[in-house]
Amino acid sequence: MDAPQPPKITDEDLIAYLDGELEDAACRWIEKLLMTDPAIRRRLQELERTWELLEKLDEPVADDRLTRSTLEMVAVEAAREVQETSPLQGRRFWVRWLLVLGSLLAAAGLGVAVGWFLTDDPDRQLLEDLPLLENLDCYRQIDDFQFLKGLQERMLFQEDQSDEG
Amino acid sequence: MVDPDVHLMLRVRDGDAEAFTELMRRYQGRVLLVLEHLVGSRDWAEDLTQEVFLRVYRARKTYTADAKFVTWLFTITNHVASNALRTKARRREVRLRGAANSSGSGRPLERFLQCSSGQIPARQLDKTEMRDIVRLAMETLNERQRMAVLLNKFEGMSYADIAQAMEMTPQAVKSLLSRARLNLRQMLIPYLETGRPPEAPPSVGAEELAS
Repeated sequence: MDAPQPPKITDEDLIAYLDGELEDAACRWIEKLLMTDPAIRRRLQELERTWELLEKLDEPVADDRLTRSTLEMVAVEAAREVQETSPLQGRRFWVRWLLVLGSLLAAAGLGVAVGWFLTDDPDRQLLEDLPLLENLDCYRQIDDFQFLKGLQERMLFQEDQSDEG
Repeated sequence: MVDPDVHLMLRVRDGDAEAFTELMRRYQGRVLLVLEHLVGSRDWAEDLTQEVFLRVYRARKTYTADAKFVTWLFTITNHVASNALRTKARRREVRLRGAANSSGSGRPLERFLQCSSGQIPARQLDKTEMRDIVRLAMETLNERQRMAVLLNKFEGMSYADIAQAMEMTPQAVKSLLSRARLNLRQMLIPYLETGRPPEAPPSVGAEELAS
C-alpha cells in the first residue's frame, strides 16, 4: 500500500502566503516545500515579481483644485439640506402667524359687534319707531292719548284681524 | 479609540467641518488612486472621488463606528465605482449595438502587443512602457478582481477587510485575488521574459461579474 500523498500546494495557498493570510502551521508547511521544491519556488517568485510590477502604475495625486472643488460640492449639499429642512420651519412659522392673524380678526369682529350695540345708531332708532311712523297720520288726528288707550283696551284695533280670521 | 479616523468621522457626524476636511486630506488621494486604476480615466476618477466624499458627507448622520473607517470608505468607493461602470457598460452596449463587427480584438493588451511586439525583443523595457503594460494587464482583469487587487496592493487591506468592503466572504476574496494574480502573472511574465505577446488570458469577467 502506497504512503499517503502530502496535500498539493495550490496557487491560492501561495498567494495567501505572500499576503500573510495563512496561519503559522500552513506557513511552515509552505516554507518547507519552498526549500525542497524549485518549481514551487519559481511559481512563488513569479507571483511576487508580478505583484511588485503593480508599483509601476502611476500614483495620482489629489491636488488642491480637487479638494477645493469637492468641498464646494459638499457646501452646496449642506445648503441644500438646510433648504430642505427650512420649509418645515416655514410652515410652522406661517401656522403660528395665521393663528395670530385669526385671533386679531376675531377680536376685531367682536369689537365691532360690541360697538354696534353700545353706540346710538340713527337707523336702529328708526327701525324701533317704525310701527309708530307707519300710523303717524292717524295719531295726529287724535288729540287725546287716553281716548287712544281706551280704543286699544276695547280691542278695536284687532277688528281687522278677527274679520280676516 | 483605536482608529483615529473613526474618531474624525464621529466628529463629522456631529457637524465638525474641519474633521471632514482632514478626512478628505488623508483619503482623497488614496480613493483617487483606486478609482483611477479601476475606471482608467483621471477625469472620471476625480468625478467619482467627489461622489464618494459627497456620499460620506450624506451618510454622516447614520455613521456608526462598528468598522474601520477605511473599510467603510472603500465600501462606498466600491459602490460608486460599480454603479459608474455598470452605467458606462449599459451606455456602451447601446452605442455599440449593431456595430459589433466594426473593429478587431477588444483586448487592449493584445492590441498594444500587436502593435509593438515586433519592435520589442527580449530587452529592457523602459519605465513608461512598463507602466503601460502593467496598466493594460490590469485592464484585462474584471472589475471585482481589479478592486480586490487595488485594495490589497495599495491599501494593504486584509482579506477580511476587503471582504467587508466588497460585501463578500474572506474565502471568496482569497479566490478572487488568486485568480487576479494568476491572470496578471500569465499576462506579464512571458512578456517580461521574452517580449513575446502572452497567451490570451483565461476567461476573466463573465463568470465573476455574474457572481
